[in-house]
Amino acid sequence: MLNPKEVIVSITNRCNFKCKMCDISRNRIEELSTSQWQQVIKDIGSYGVQTIVFSGGEPLLREDIFDLISFTKDNSMGACLTSNGCLIDEEVAYKLRQAGVDVVNISVEGPRRIHDYLRGRGGYEKALIALENLRKNQIESTIATMVSRYNYKHLVYIVGLARQYGATTIKFQPFSKIFLNNRDGRDYFLFSDREISETEQIINRIISLCNDYAIATNPHSYLERIPFYLGRKYIDSNNACIALENSCPINSNGDIYPCWVRAEKDTLMGNLKENRFLNIWDSPRHRAIIEKIRKEGCPGCMMSCYDENFGRETIERRIVMNVRRLHKKGMREYARGIFKKWARRLRFYSSYRGSLKGIINRARVSLRKKNSVKVILTQKEIDNAIKEIEHIKKILKEELERSR
Amino acid sequence: MSHLTEFETNLDYHFSEILEYPIVRPYWIYISLSHKCNYNCQMCGVAKILKGYELPGEILKNTLNVISKWKRDCVVMFTGGEPFLRKDIFGLIGYAVNRGLKTEAVSNGSLINEELAEKISLSGLQNIAVSLDGVKESTHDFIRGKGAFNKVINAITNLVKAKKKLGKGPQVSVWVTIMKENVEELFEIISLVENLGVECLVYHPVIVAQDDMQKTLPSAPFWIKKEKLDMLREQIDKIVDYKTKYGQVAFLHDPYLWLKYFDATLTKYNWKCNPFVFLNIGPDGEVRSCGASFGNIKDMNLDECLLSEEAFQARKLMKICPKPCLQTCWAHPDSDSAVDIANRFIHNIENCNDKVRFLKAGLRLLEKYKNTVMSYRNA
Repeated sequence: MLNPKEVIVSITNRCNFKCKMCDISRNRIEELSTSQWQQVIKDIGSYGVQTIVFSGGEPLLREDIFDLISFTKDNSMGACLTSNGCLIDEEVAYKLRQAGVDVVNISVEGPRRIHDYLRGRGGYEKALIALENLRKNQIESTIATMVSRYNYKHLVYIVGLARQYGATTIKFQPFSKIFLNNRDGRDYFLFSDREISETEQIINRIISLCNDYAIATNPHSYLERIPFYLGRKYIDSNNACIALENSCPINSNGDIYPCWVRAEKDTLMGNLKENRFLNIWDSPRHRAIIEKIRKEGCPGCMMSCYDENFGRETIERRIVMNVRRLHKKGMREYARGIFKKWARRLRFYSSYRGSLKGIINRARVSLRKKNSVKVILTQKEIDNAIKEIEHIKKILKEELERSR
Repeated sequence: MSHLTEFETNLDYHFSEILEYPIVRPYWIYISLSHKCNYNCQMCGVAKILKGYELPGEILKNTLNVISKWKRDCVVMFTGGEPFLRKDIFGLIGYAVNRGLKTEAVSNGSLINEELAEKISLSGLQNIAVSLDGVKESTHDFIRGKGAFNKVINAITNLVKAKKKLGKGPQVSVWVTIMKENVEELFEIISLVENLGVECLVYHPVIVAQDDMQKTLPSAPFWIKKEKLDMLREQIDKIVDYKTKYGQVAFLHDPYLWLKYFDATLTKYNWKCNPFVFLNIGPDGEVRSCGASFGNIKDMNLDECLLSEEAFQARKLMKICPKPCLQTCWAHPDSDSAVDIANRFIHNIENCNDKVRFLKAGLRLLEKYKNTVMSYRNA
């Protein structure tokens, strides 16, 4: 059985920006109504999905977004919102908090000049105001950055910004053509060879900075591959993408695809207007599509839904990587790195799962209780039971003979 | 083959009790979502214990998942406090229903307006129980607070209306707590709720202390004193008479036991709880049948709770419980004695065409039991 963990819902294609790397808002399609979305959310909730990501377009352009978020929370799922931040003034931030949103993801591409060039004038200012308003309302904020030739020099700037505004996570994602109408164009976003080596250094700097500031980011091996991907040196057409099995995107007109990259006519899993999520997910058609993608291989992507793949390295690869690191850094630095990493993990867990003492205590209790089951029935109890069974048997047999 | 299933279920519970080992999973699972309540009823102390505890939806869903994998049918009952105070209750109900579980809920009715009634009808609940304590407004309001009577009547009307309008919905039932204040109105309640369109009526006697079921003090304020017991007997006579004629009322146990209960002469020889039938999950996650805890679902799986060492001890204590309390939680009275079970089975299939086939199947079943029990001996 396929268990979805995260569903990405694009609730509208409308957007108030015309970014250079995205053509979604040019494709006007109809949208599902509030009640239709609510039915979808309810169905998704019954599958044990952990998070629904509301994305778009600009999701805040829909007026019922607050209702949908609170409905998601009512169905005991996490709600995450992706926005360009343009519409998040104090009132909207307050409303978001009332609705119970868990995380709001704001896109920032770099300093003012670059952000405004890529996304449109005034966007930078408004994104920062949004981050500030979210912080005031104690909503967890994260920053999403698309890495490309325009902004690779300024990635460190974004880490500083995240620290300044208290964002807990930065998600880097390389420029991808899948949101363009013409998937062959706009090569000027990609890297040349010189830029690859330069970006490698920058990425290393980001990793260490994020460690120091305790800001979460993508898995390191994912980050390390970004420059090669953008330089067209590395295309990972991995056939074992887990994102196929545990997440899926839903288009604003209700179309479900297995993945954004393979959002084509022949991989359309179904439409939520005609069919319910329950009947589409894990249906024979769904399985067949996954099987097909596995067989044919996918064109390869580095979408952030896919970065979970990098968290699951094989043991051999982990050993190789650790030995390499040890060799490069020296024993002392290496040990220090490991110590820092664990300290950060513990800090993270303690803020989410209670104190370390509590965690250990719970683990101990559950371990002890597991192997304590041992039941011994006495001879007398068993004899009694057998005697009773014989007795009832006799009654039934008598009845059987009588009815014959 | 429903007769055979019933026979098997009864035997399962019976032999679980005899062998003191859970051959079968419980039938009733009460999940207390939180003890928060918007009423402060005089006879109920639930809201005062475990204040502020609430099980996270995630854990509850995991538990429902575990329950849905059990082979035998079971019923999940959402209780509280007032369960509809919890925001995600419909999410939980939907989750359970989608997994093929039967779900029920208990409410005081105060929150059920037309909108909520329709939501309830569409949620897939099988039964909703609303508490009603009297025919007179003054009686009910005295016990539960001002305005409560009108709200309950409204709630029942809304539920019935919604069910009619939408063409589907839960069975609407009413639970009555028997106590000194309403002992004269017990019978009249039947005609009241029948006019409202209620499909099932259940009585249960008052308990004095929620945190200690065995504490039955005749000096408690709601206790029916000796001089009023005749009144109670009269009411029971009428109710039993009505039931034999028209049905509608559901007894979970012999109603004449209430007399003994209020007389403080009810002992374990008159009534014995079967610890394997019923399970309660508190808002703090503690799992229990009655009395001591089996374990906490925050720490372990529900299946593990049922087999923990604490569970075996707790069930032993229940077996020797000196003072049964006749609450709604224990409602599988057919597993009292093996002979009764066999007779009931024979009685049920009396008029069936293929009686012989049933009997043969029953015999095969017994053979299976014998093997199971023997295997325990060998182990």
